[in-house]
Amino acid sequence: MIARLAAVFMLALAASAARADAPPSAADIVAAADQVRNPSQPFRVSLALVEYRNGQPHDATNLTVHAKLVSASHQYRNLIRYVGPPRDVGKLVLLDASRMWFYDPASKASVRISAQQRLVGQASDGDVLTVNLAHDYTARLIGEEKTQDADKQPHDTWHLDLVPATSDATYARIETWIEKGTSRPIKSKFYSDSGRLLKLAYYRRYEPRLGAERPLETIIVDAVDPHLVTKISYSDFRAEDVEDVWFQRDYLPRFSVE
Amino acid sequence: MLVALQLLGADDVDLIPEDVLGEPAAPTEDARATAPASRLSRQLFFEDALTLSNLRDVVVPFPPPLPPRWQDRASFDARLRGTPASSLAFTLSDRVNVFVQSGQDVASRSTVRNDLREASVGWQPHPAVDLEVGRIDVRNGVALGFNPTDFFKTRTLVGQASLDPSVIRQNRLGTLMVRGRASWSAGSASVAFAPRLTSPSPIIEHDPLGVSPHLAATNAAPRVLATLGFEVLDLAPQLLGYYEPGRAKLGLDLSRPIGGAVVVYAEWAGGPEQNLVARAIGFGKRTGTLPDAAPIVPPSDTATAFRNDVAAGLSWTIATKVTLNVEYHLHEAGLGHDAWNNWFDLGGAPGAPAALANELWYVRAYANDQQEPMTRHQVFVRASWPRAFTSDLELSAFAFVDAADGSVLGQAAASYYLSKRWTASLFVSGNLGAARSERGSFPERVSSIAQLTLYL
Repeated sequence: MIARLAAVFMLALAASAARADAPPSAADIVAAADQVRNPSQPFRVSLALVEYRNGQPHDATNLTVHAKLVSASHQYRNLIRYVGPPRDVGKLVLLDASRMWFYDPASKASVRISAQQRLVGQASDGDVLTVNLAHDYTARLIGEEKTQDADKQPHDTWHLDLVPATSDATYARIETWIEKGTSRPIKSKFYSDSGRLLKLAYYRRYEPRLGAERPLETIIVDAVDPHLVTKISYSDFRAEDVEDVWFQRDYLPRFSVE
Repeated sequence: MLVALQLLGADDVDLIPEDVLGEPAAPTEDARATAPASRLSRQLFFEDALTLSNLRDVVVPFPPPLPPRWQDRASFDARLRGTPASSLAFTLSDRVNVFVQSGQDVASRSTVRNDLREASVGWQPHPAVDLEVGRIDVRNGVALGFNPTDFFKTRTLVGQASLDPSVIRQNRLGTLMVRGRASWSAGSASVAFAPRLTSPSPIIEHDPLGVSPHLAATNAAPRVLATLGFEVLDLAPQLLGYYEPGRAKLGLDLSRPIGGAVVVYAEWAGGPEQNLVARAIGFGKRTGTLPDAAPIVPPSDTATAFRNDVAAGLSWTIATKVTLNVEYHLHEAGLGHDAWNNWFDLGGAPGAPAALANELWYVRAYANDQQEPMTRHQVFVRASWPRAFTSDLELSAFAFVDAADGSVLGQAAASYYLSKRWTASLFVSGNLGAARSERGSFPERVSSIAQLTLYL
C-alpha cells in the first residue's frame, strides 16, 4: 500500500515537473512581448526615424504617435502626426482597425488608405504603429534558439512564426524571436503576400518607460536593398488623455494637440 | 535581388552599420521647432515656378489675351495654427505672389497678388465641440479628380503650378463663415453658414488689384452646409445638405477597403439646377461680362431640372510602391456629344463673329471657375510613386480623358528632395487630342513648369 502511494506520489511529482518545464503557449509568448512593447494606458511617444544609406544618415522624419487600447477589440487606435521634415509638418495618419485615413492640412483632404499603403516606403506607417500582434496574428512556436541582438549579444529566445488572424494584420507573415524570461522582442522578419522577405527589425536599448522595460530603438534593414537601414528612436513616452473623438475622420482637421 | 538575399542569408546582424548603433539620435531641429511649449504649428516656404507654354492655333479663336508664353511666379507661403489657450485656436494661411510674364508690364496692378486663404479663430469649449469664425477653407469629398460634394470649391481657384487636382486644392481661397462642429465616438456633424457680403465679381476682372481678398468671389451669396458622418458597414458615409438661393443640393460620400490593397469610393451630389451653359450665360449677364441680349450658345435647354454629379473609383496600391487611382466622373449638367459639336460648328464657322467665340469660351471659363467638368462623362487616372528608385524622388502622373472624344489633359510630375528644406519639381502637362475635341481645342499644347521650393 505504501509502495503504491509512493508510486502515485512520484508520478504526480513527475507530471508537475513536466508542466513546469513545458514551454508557454505561442500566443502567451506573443502577448507578453506585446506588453513589453506597448503601454496599456493611453499614451503618446515621439519618434525620430533616420534613414542610413551605406551607413551614412540620409533622411530624417519626426513623428508623434498617440495611441489608445480599445478594450473591446484588444487592439490599439493610432493617430500619427508628422513633426518633420518641414514639407510634411502637420500631416496626420489615423489608423483604427480597418479605418485608415491620411490627412494633409495643405489640401484639407482626408483620403482613405488601404492596408498596403501603410507599407509604402522603407519605414512605413506600419512600422510605427502600436499594435498587439497577439490579436492580429496566430502564432506558432518553432522552437528555442540562441539569437544575437543588434549588438551581437546572445539571447535565449523563443522562435515564433506568425500568420494573420484578422484582416487588420499589416504583414502576410512575421518571424519573431522573443527572449525567454523577459519577453523582450529581440528580432523580427516581415514577409509579403508572395513570401518575399521585406524587412528585418532589431529591438534594442531597453529602458524603463511607463511601467516596464521597453525598447527605445528599432533598427530596420531593407531586405531588397540591405544598404538601406532605418533607425527608429522612441522618446518622450507620456501617459495622455487620448480622446475617442480624435479617431474620427472629421476630427482630423481640428486636431491641434502638439 | 539575389545579392540581397545572399547578404541576408549570411549573418543578419552584420547588415547593421556601426554608425547606426551609435548614440541615440538627439531630437532634431524640426522636433524642437514644434515642441509643446511653442503651441504653434507652422509651415513656411519660398517657391519660384517658371512656366513655359507652347501655343497653337485653335478651331474656335481664343479671346485675347492669349495665355502667356512664359511666366515666373515667386511666392512666400505661410500656414500657421496656434493654440494660445487650450480652448482657443487661430489659423492663418496666406500666400504672396510676384508674377512676371510675357505680355504684362513688370510693374502692373497684377504683378503682386496676395491670396488670403484662411484667417479664423476657433473656440473649443469641449474636446468634442468647436465653433470657428473667419475665412475658412471647407473641403468635402473622397474622390481625387472631381468632388461633387465639395460645395465650397466654387470660385476659389488661385494661381497654381501643377494642374493636378490634389495640388490645386493646396492653394484655394476659403469662404468667410461661421462653422460649428461636433464629434462623438461613432460620428460627427457640422453646420456652416457663409453670409452674402457683396455682389459677385466677374470671372475675369479687368485690371484687378492683386491684394484684393476676393470676397466677391467667395461671399456673393448666402450659403449653408450641414454634414453628418457616421459608421455603417465600414463605408464611412457622410451625408451633406447644401443651400444657396437658386442652388440646393444633397450629397453622399462613401468609401470602403476591399482586401489589403484596394479602397473603393464614391461621391454623389444632386439637386435642381440649370445646365452648365445656361448657368454660365446667366452669370455672365448678371456680372456685366455678357450683354443682356446674349444668346444661349451652344443652344441648350435652359430649364431647371434635377441633375446628378458622380465621382466613383478606386485606389490600388501595387507592390507597396505605386498607388493607382481610377475614377469615372458624371456631370449631368455638362456638355454631351451634340453640344460639343455645336460648340465647334458655331465658333469655327468661317466669318463667325468674335463676340460669339468669346461667349463660347466664356462658358469654358465659367466651368473652370466653378471647378466643374465641362464635359458630361470623363475618366480620371492617377499614379503616384513616392520613393521612386530612391527615397528622394517622387513621381506622379495623371490624365483626364473626355469619354466623348477621347481627348486628354495629362501631366507628369517629378519632385526631388534636394535636402530636408529644398525641393525641386518639374511638371510637364499637355492638352492632347484632335482639333475638334475638348482638350485639343485649347491654345496651350504643352506647358512645362520648373519649380524650386525652400521650406523654412
